[in-house]
Amino acid sequence: MTDRAVLPPAPPADGLPARDDPDDLTSLRAILLGPTEAEIKRLRLRLDDRYSQARDVSAVLPQALVQCSSDPELARALAPPVEKAITASVRRDPKPLADAIFPIIGPAIRKAVAASLAAMVESMNRSLEHSVSWRAITWRLEARRTGRTFGEVVLLHTLLYRIEQVFLIHRKTGLLLQHVRAHSAEVADAQMVSAMLTAIRDFAQDSFRTTAQDSLEAFEVGELSVWIEPGPDAVIAAVIRGNAPKDYRRTLQDAVERVHLQFGEPLASFDGDAKAFDAARPILEGCLHSEFRSGDAPRSRLLPILAATIVIALAIWGVLAWRQQSRWSHYLAALRQEPGLIVISSGRTAGQYRVSGLRDPLARDPVTLLAESDLTAADVAGVWEPYQALGKKFVVARASRILRPPAGVTLDLHDDVLSATGMAPPAWIADAVRLAPLIPGVSRFDATALLRAQLDTVVRQIEGVTVLFARGTTQLAADGDAELRTLAAAVRELERLAASLGRTAQLEIVGHTDGDGDAASNLPLSRARAERVLQALEPGAMPHLTILPGGVGSGDPLRHGDAEADKQQNRRVTVRVAAGSLQPEGSPGR
Amino acid sequence: MIQKKICMLGSFAVGKTSLVARFVSSIFSEKYLTTVGVKIDKKTLAMDGKDVTLMLWDIYGQDDFQTVQQSYLRGASGYLLVIDGTRRATLETAHTLHKMAQEVAGAVPFLVVLNKADLAPQWEIDDKGLWKLAEHGAAVVRTSAKTGEGVEETFAKLTRAMIGS
Repeated sequence: MTDRAVLPPAPPADGLPARDDPDDLTSLRAILLGPTEAEIKRLRLRLDDRYSQARDVSAVLPQALVQCSSDPELARALAPPVEKAITASVRRDPKPLADAIFPIIGPAIRKAVAASLAAMVESMNRSLEHSVSWRAITWRLEARRTGRTFGEVVLLHTLLYRIEQVFLIHRKTGLLLQHVRAHSAEVADAQMVSAMLTAIRDFAQDSFRTTAQDSLEAFEVGELSVWIEPGPDAVIAAVIRGNAPKDYRRTLQDAVERVHLQFGEPLASFDGDAKAFDAARPILEGCLHSEFRSGDAPRSRLLPILAATIVIALAIWGVLAWRQQSRWSHYLAALRQEPGLIVISSGRTAGQYRVSGLRDPLARDPVTLLAESDLTAADVAGVWEPYQALGKKFVVARASRILRPPAGVTLDLHDDVLSATGMAPPAWIADAVRLAPLIPGVSRFDATALLRAQLDTVVRQIEGVTVLFARGTTQLAADGDAELRTLAAAVRELERLAASLGRTAQLEIVGHTDGDGDAASNLPLSRARAERVLQALEPGAMPHLTILPGGVGSGDPLRHGDAEADKQQNRRVTVRVAAGSLQPEGSPGR
Repeated sequence: MIQKKICMLGSFAVGKTSLVARFVSSIFSEKYLTTVGVKIDKKTLAMDGKDVTLMLWDIYGQDDFQTVQQSYLRGASGYLLVIDGTRRATLETAHTLHKMAQEVAGAVPFLVVLNKADLAPQWEIDDKGLWKLAEHGAAVVRTSAKTGEGVEETFAKLTRAMIGS
């Protein structure tokens, strides 16, 4: 089956389509223009398809780049996007770029460090060489006289030459392309200097009407000279202090040649932007030479050794001095902390430490503190004047040495009052009361504790005595006299102690009988026995004691047996110190 | 940073040095003018986000223009032709200097600076004279180094022309 729209109709006999048949015209057009229209449609689709465009461009891009690689416009066009791409990459992750440039950066850093170290060593050598000598002294005087630093004076005297600055100047415009300088070199405005150098060259060339090849190559200004090495598009100018060797000119020529070789295109198309010439710095830095005068060989070897020896000796001396000073400081601190020692002055004279001050005889000997600070008696001369320290420890010790308290008696000091505890004889107490105020740091002696202890003893002694009587009488039993004398002595001691303490006491004398006989006769007998003892105690001579006699008959037997021995023990008189007694003198209890 | 060399051209005493002095603080002495024949100054302008350093070559001017060091014009990115409005002769000299500059520096941007605007009533130069310059494509600006009128604008205009912004 055929279709008229697809297959063209058969042409008429004259070979031309019928003029009035549109279908025929359409068919004819399809025959004539169909392939072209299809091709146009295909091309249009391809041009509108970005993917196809990218594929086509990628196929020819490498070749295109190769063909225009020498065109500076390409470098200028690519520079901004490449810079942005690198910046973005570094910001996102700096590691890939760091890894990529590592093989370059590592050696460069090592080279820079090595160069710095070499410069430092050279500088130290020069400093050592010129630190100890008559010449160095004169240079120091010159430095002081001229206001320059010693280093500058040394530099001026030892410098053969130094390239202080190197300029790379665009020859046609006189604009500065790059500039480097030596460390510590003084630099004016490099752009202005570059322009003026160009003007001076032009001036010289025009004034003397020389040819283009004959230009100003050098000029001198005081200690400085300027060497100029021209190239076709750029000029290198080196500012030199001192006298550079003639072959340095060769260095400048090499540098100019390298600059033109590496930067030929940027020089030719220079329009004022010198950024491209940052990469020329290494070439210019290679022109920063310097050379110093070397000293006499033997001296140059001897002086460092001598200087090193002096430095080592000074270091050892310093360490020893520091250690000795530390020991001395430690000793002084120990002296100041020691009780009974007062340091008034200290110092060092004729190689020996000296210390003077006050010392309590009871304080520790300062010499014994030396060993703790690793010092010997030969190291320190001490002058100590005696004095009496008023610290508690020293006052108590001093009182012990003076009063010699009996064994068991302990001295103590509180608010300048010396006190004692324990049992001491009355005579010692009396001496202590008398002598204690004479001891420095003691205002009085407080014997209260001692007397209380004695009082308790006497009370126990009084209450422990039992005076026995014969049967049915007030006659003392066989041992009754001795007991009574003992009792009387104890009561007299009680009177004395009460007087010493300013107190009073009440004694109750209680008479007893055995159980024989009736109560009516025993009670008076017991009272009579108490009176008998009272008389023996002589109460009139005891103003601080109140003695009350009384009897209880047979009502309070000591023993309850019927044997004579039991009864004898019941025929007795006992003395009791009343509870609540020993009140202060004048109190209501009296 | 971009650097550009600008030459100041004009007869003696037209005010070139005064215009530069209005624009920058010089560090070199004016004695360079009479010794080397040029005094160089520097001024950095911020122009459309870019720093442009202008190296100003103030070339010693004598009425006898033959003595001008032509080599100083070499490599200039632009120049100012300074005319003293009160002296007609300086206009003629400017014509000659302009030709010399074109020969040495090429077709670089330049401005005709009609200086001493503060003395306008005493001017000897009329519009006809200026038209002659305008025929050569010169833009004319009026300045007064004495009052500062138009000085900054003149340098900015020339700089803009040099960097093509």
